[in-house]
Amino acid sequence: MLKAMLRGLFAHKLRLILSALAIILGTAFMSAAFVSGDTISKGFTDLFSTINEDIDAQVTAKSDVPSLEGGGGEALVTKVVPQDVADKLKGLDGAESVTPQVVSDGARVIGKDGKVVASNGPPRLGGAWPANINEDPNLELRLGTGPTAPDQVVLSANLAKSAGVTVGDKVEIITLQPRRTFTVSGISGYKGGRDSLGGETFVYFTLPVAQELMLGTTGVYSNVDIKAAPGVSQETLKQRAQAVVGDGYTVRTGEETSQEQASGIQSFLSIFSTGLAVFGFLALFTGAFLIFNTFSMLIAQRTRELALYRSFGANRGQVLRSVLLESLLLGLAASIVGLLIGFGLGWLLTRLLRSTGFPGGALVISPWVVIGTLFAGTIITVLSALAPALRASRVAPIEAMRDAAKPDKPLRRLTTFGLILMAVGIALLILKGTKTLEDNVLTLGGGCLFIFIGAVMVAPALSRPITGTIGKLVDWATPGRLGVRNTGRNPRRTALTAAALMIGVTLATGAGVFASSVKAGLSDIFASELNADLILQTDFTAGPTAGFQPALMDQVRQIPGVSTAAALQTDGVKLANRDEFVVATDAKAAQTLFTLEPREGEIRELNSGEIILNDGFATKTGLKVGDTATMQTARGEAKDLKVIGILASSQVVTNPLISPADASGFRSPLAQQAYIKVTDPAQIEPVRTQLKTLVADNPEVSVSDPSAQIKQATTFLDLMLNVLNVLLGLTILVAVLGVINTLLLSVFERTRELGLLRAIGMNRSRMGWMITVEAVLISVFGALLGMVLGTALGITLVKIFGGNFLKLTIPWGYLIATLVLAVIAGLIAALLPAWRAARLNVLQAIAYE
Amino acid sequence: MTIAAPARQITAAAARADGVWKVYGTGEAQVVALREVSVELQRGRFTAIMGPSGSGKSTLMHCLAGLDSVTRGQVYVGDTQLTGLNDAGLTKLRREKVGFIFQQFNLLPTLTAEENILLPLAIAGRKPDRAWFQTVIDTVGLGDRLSHRPSQLSGGQQQRVACARALVSRPEVIFADEPTGNLDSRSGGEVLNFLRQSVIDHGQTIVMVTHDATAASFADRVIFLADGSVVDSLDDPTAERVLDTIKRIGADH
Repeated sequence: MLKAMLRGLFAHKLRLILSALAIILGTAFMSAAFVSGDTISKGFTDLFSTINEDIDAQVTAKSDVPSLEGGGGEALVTKVVPQDVADKLKGLDGAESVTPQVVSDGARVIGKDGKVVASNGPPRLGGAWPANINEDPNLELRLGTGPTAPDQVVLSANLAKSAGVTVGDKVEIITLQPRRTFTVSGISGYKGGRDSLGGETFVYFTLPVAQELMLGTTGVYSNVDIKAAPGVSQETLKQRAQAVVGDGYTVRTGEETSQEQASGIQSFLSIFSTGLAVFGFLALFTGAFLIFNTFSMLIAQRTRELALYRSFGANRGQVLRSVLLESLLLGLAASIVGLLIGFGLGWLLTRLLRSTGFPGGALVISPWVVIGTLFAGTIITVLSALAPALRASRVAPIEAMRDAAKPDKPLRRLTTFGLILMAVGIALLILKGTKTLEDNVLTLGGGCLFIFIGAVMVAPALSRPITGTIGKLVDWATPGRLGVRNTGRNPRRTALTAAALMIGVTLATGAGVFASSVKAGLSDIFASELNADLILQTDFTAGPTAGFQPALMDQVRQIPGVSTAAALQTDGVKLANRDEFVVATDAKAAQTLFTLEPREGEIRELNSGEIILNDGFATKTGLKVGDTATMQTARGEAKDLKVIGILASSQVVTNPLISPADASGFRSPLAQQAYIKVTDPAQIEPVRTQLKTLVADNPEVSVSDPSAQIKQATTFLDLMLNVLNVLLGLTILVAVLGVINTLLLSVFERTRELGLLRAIGMNRSRMGWMITVEAVLISVFGALLGMVLGTALGITLVKIFGGNFLKLTIPWGYLIATLVLAVIAGLIAALLPAWRAARLNVLQAIAYE
Repeated sequence: MTIAAPARQITAAAARADGVWKVYGTGEAQVVALREVSVELQRGRFTAIMGPSGSGKSTLMHCLAGLDSVTRGQVYVGDTQLTGLNDAGLTKLRREKVGFIFQQFNLLPTLTAEENILLPLAIAGRKPDRAWFQTVIDTVGLGDRLSHRPSQLSGGQQQRVACARALVSRPEVIFADEPTGNLDSRSGGEVLNFLRQSVIDHGQTIVMVTHDATAASFADRVIFLADGSVVDSLDDPTAERVLDTIKRIGADH
């Protein structure tokens, strides 16, 4: 019995391969994500343990202010180890060597093109050249000599390459201090031919210069590395060092240091592998629909065969088991293929990343990845086949004698159930919207999932009316009309096939609506609250130390035509025991530029020791006018600030304002932005020209205006949309497979009908047309469902998160593009089935039983 | 071999097979389905093709209708020579000159009875002649069932729809493959009656393959096939004479 049934399975190879492709795709993405993630992660761990081989304990200064994330902010040292502490560690019991170091983020080299050499995340480190390079376990001099004079530097090989300089060239470098000219005395690299550890760049100065430029003052160090004498454990060394330096300093063992260093990179890695895993999951999820549909159709077709087995005495369990076994074999086979392809993809990815400076060795294949991938792919296949298998087991023996064509079961129960699920989902979203329930996973995630599954169940009931309506467009000719009728013929099948497409389109549309609402909201705010005509803007990828001297504003105010101007110096601090960003600026000018209104107290130019709170922070902390808040900056001492005013709600200023005089302890002495208002619109261009001249020598600062600012602020949204579009592409690919699959099955099932049409005079091209109409209708139906659902989802998200910040906007262009894409997908999907239908042998088709 | 001239007035042939061979497979697996068959189907007459299973009667019909190609010989429908026509030519021929009735009815489940009947005209892009359509509907007696789907019709009714579909485009020849094979005797009798009626009233040419002697007795003429060759023919047959002939053929072969 089993053998016979399995033969039945393999009789439908093409169909199985098509539905297996979805599983293969999903498992391939999943395993590629994990394998490449593991490989790179192992590469980093190995790398750091090599680098830190000579470090058994490391001493750094403790900071109360959390480090800034991204843009190299983690590597920016603000608390230093003074000379006397370093000296105290010298001669530490059990230490073989004690080496004070200077390394910090923020050494920006200006390249040959006059621009700062860009970094896309990794830090731009600056530090002291080791006293004896020949003894350094990792670093090596590739060319030239080490820096011996204050105006000499060694550049890491990758930096020298991107800056386009070599030994003997002059190079300008911006650090905590404005640009300064140095001569390149040498090029460095890591041993083993490696240019960088993870894409970071390095500038090596002489020790005093490094201390001054990177840490702000001479005679201090970023950390002290200690190597243990033989027989002394890392832990012992750590405890002894801690006893020497006291509570103000953090001491880590060499191992802890490696972990700490690796963790920063791990977080970046995890974003990357999570992205791939999400792709994989979506492909699997979409694939589940395909598998479900394929098995449903195969079983519908094989009703007679199954009934025959039943009439021979096979019991329900046997039929159920054999169908499930089919799905198990299919899922396992597809997962194995997917896993292997995933290994290949992972290998390719690690190769690709290695060429951009990532470490990596042999592919790390953890047994968990293998087990997990195989399990996920197989279980999804089996679960998708469960419902069809149950249906198969309920085939009555009598159906062996009947004609296979059976009227469809009524949809009422399914539709009702779907509507109930949707209602539950909507209720959850309402609970979230009205803030009755705050839990995001339950309300948002659960709500969306319920609505989505509900929609899939309601879709069959909608398929006939909707495809019928769209079908009116092609109803004027017989092939078109027949295609439309065929689409409405099996609502479940049409809806399920369309559902695969619906998933991707829903996500993409939802994100599209949200993103365009954010954009429109931003534009509105800029238009209504921002009263500035020109903006000085620091390149936000330049890291936390980039910017311009606040004193520049004196010159800006001198430009004829400028009416008001204020520089903004923003930094993360600890304020009233909370991590908060504060802005040091001229509050009086800010009031004009950002149309600020006081809710309490007053807005005026701040004196040292005063603070104006934004609405949100005041509400969170309960601070009132006249109260005192303590502010701890990264480099300075704690200071009490008196609240003199609280801002009314503003969309532009969402942080407390302090006096520039109190910003001396900020990580960077520079301002990141300045807003400028002119006396008369005609003055905008002349002032712009003047501003450009003013910042001409600062490649990290550009002159911008509100509209350019909106564009910049929404770059990340475009990026997100691009990622989602790739995702949409992937699910469309899977969905196209589904449409091909469904139509091939339909062509097969309707062989006799197609033969009849040919017999009574329909030609091949019209047969193809008929199938194409069906394919396009299915995919357009799926896209429409997805668009409606996605728009609803987007609107919900806007309503829930928007407040008065987002302005609901429907991206019509995007929706139309999606629809066009769906039509194209349908056309592509129709190719193979249409070709098959057109090639049917008329005689065989008619004689076909 | 040539069939003797019929008793009634000789008319021009609606379809003609001339020395047709049909061979399947090659070498040891070779099967000869038709062996030098020549038949002429007169216009405006009802011809039945009979013979035991495997005698080649269905193959002959398929070749005459342009559904199957012949190995050797010539086939004509009206003035058109079928041998050598490509798919487009054969499609055009089926669209314009041939009608089909099948044992399995073969109606499109998505279309109503009326739409099914008008389908060949729709495919050909021709406007139906309403008067003729009405005549056909009256002949097959489907007036009150036109808006029904095939699943709502009985077997006899479905076959009447199929007959109407074949009649409505007034083809040169209608080929009917066991049209009563799936019907009870009463429904079968009705179908045969109005097929005969359409020959008498409207001069329609019909060729029917059957193994039922009663069905064959409705024809003007019966051609008997055995082992791929025409072995006998009867004009104005009765069921008894048909059965006698079959018995005789059975004894000979």
